[in-house]
Amino acid sequence: MGRLVRSYEVGDELPPLVKEMTQEAINLFEGSAGQSGPSQFTDEETARETLGTEGTVASGRMSLSFAIELLRRHFGSDVFNHTGTVDLRFLRPVRPGDTITFSGTVTGVSREVNGSRVSVEIKAENQRGDTTGAGQGSAVVPNAYLPQDE
Amino acid sequence: MVEADTRILLDWDALEVGETFDTYEYLLTQEMIDTYRKGVMDPEASFPTISHKVDVKQYNAKYRDAGSVNARCAFYCYNPPIGGKTITVRAWIADKYLRRGKNYIVTEAVSVDEDGRLIDRVITHELKQPTEVGKKWGG
Repeated sequence: MGRLVRSYEVGDELPPLVKEMTQEAINLFEGSAGQSGPSQFTDEETARETLGTEGTVASGRMSLSFAIELLRRHFGSDVFNHTGTVDLRFLRPVRPGDTITFSGTVTGVSREVNGSRVSVEIKAENQRGDTTGAGQGSAVVPNAYLPQDE
Repeated sequence: MVEADTRILLDWDALEVGETFDTYEYLLTQEMIDTYRKGVMDPEASFPTISHKVDVKQYNAKYRDAGSVNARCAFYCYNPPIGGKTITVRAWIADKYLRRGKNYIVTEAVSVDEDGRLIDRVITHELKQPTEVGKKWGG
């Protein structure tokens, strides 16, 4: 079986990831950790009291999960799940009914002891073109996956 | 009868960077993993630990405050957790800062499973004036 070679260059764009936010998805996310009480994520009244918003919002950790998915799809589970990082700032609330598009651009490739760290700039935008999140991510791609030096 | 809230009211000025919380343990079930994957609409999502918000779990058990909003989160993947394993979390106050008159607390946590596998590390910046969200972004 041949060697799988992956190539990364600055400026490479990652295939975008689109998520349709629903209250059901938010409830499942919160419920997956056994959180059953009302919160700013699941209950409009609590959101009004705690945040001063008219409705619920999605946890920033859902956006974090989506950014991780964006990078995992690009680097592969075998690489990203063991070396991946994401650092995301949450700039605007994400609400049920929003469509959020996550995009990424490779910003750097640097040699490390056992591979190359590929850095990615990450952006999340809603259906109105507002940026809801921004940050960086990276993964260390093993030398065995990279083109050999001549 | 409602139980009295015996938690300490947060005094942001007095909160010490480096304060380490009691170890937190939980059983990560396959049902939790499956529900997380449905919630994030990703059947291959590998870090269901994210929804457990373990970095602030013990903070919230010790302190009470006006609530919080997640302003920034950094996540480091080491090994995907396995369903049916007990996860042990060590969390601490990594930093605190004032920005534009608002108070932030940075918590950090490392998760390890019962076999000693390092799972992940998470660092979260929480804004401690959550009503700023409504003021800035409205309804």
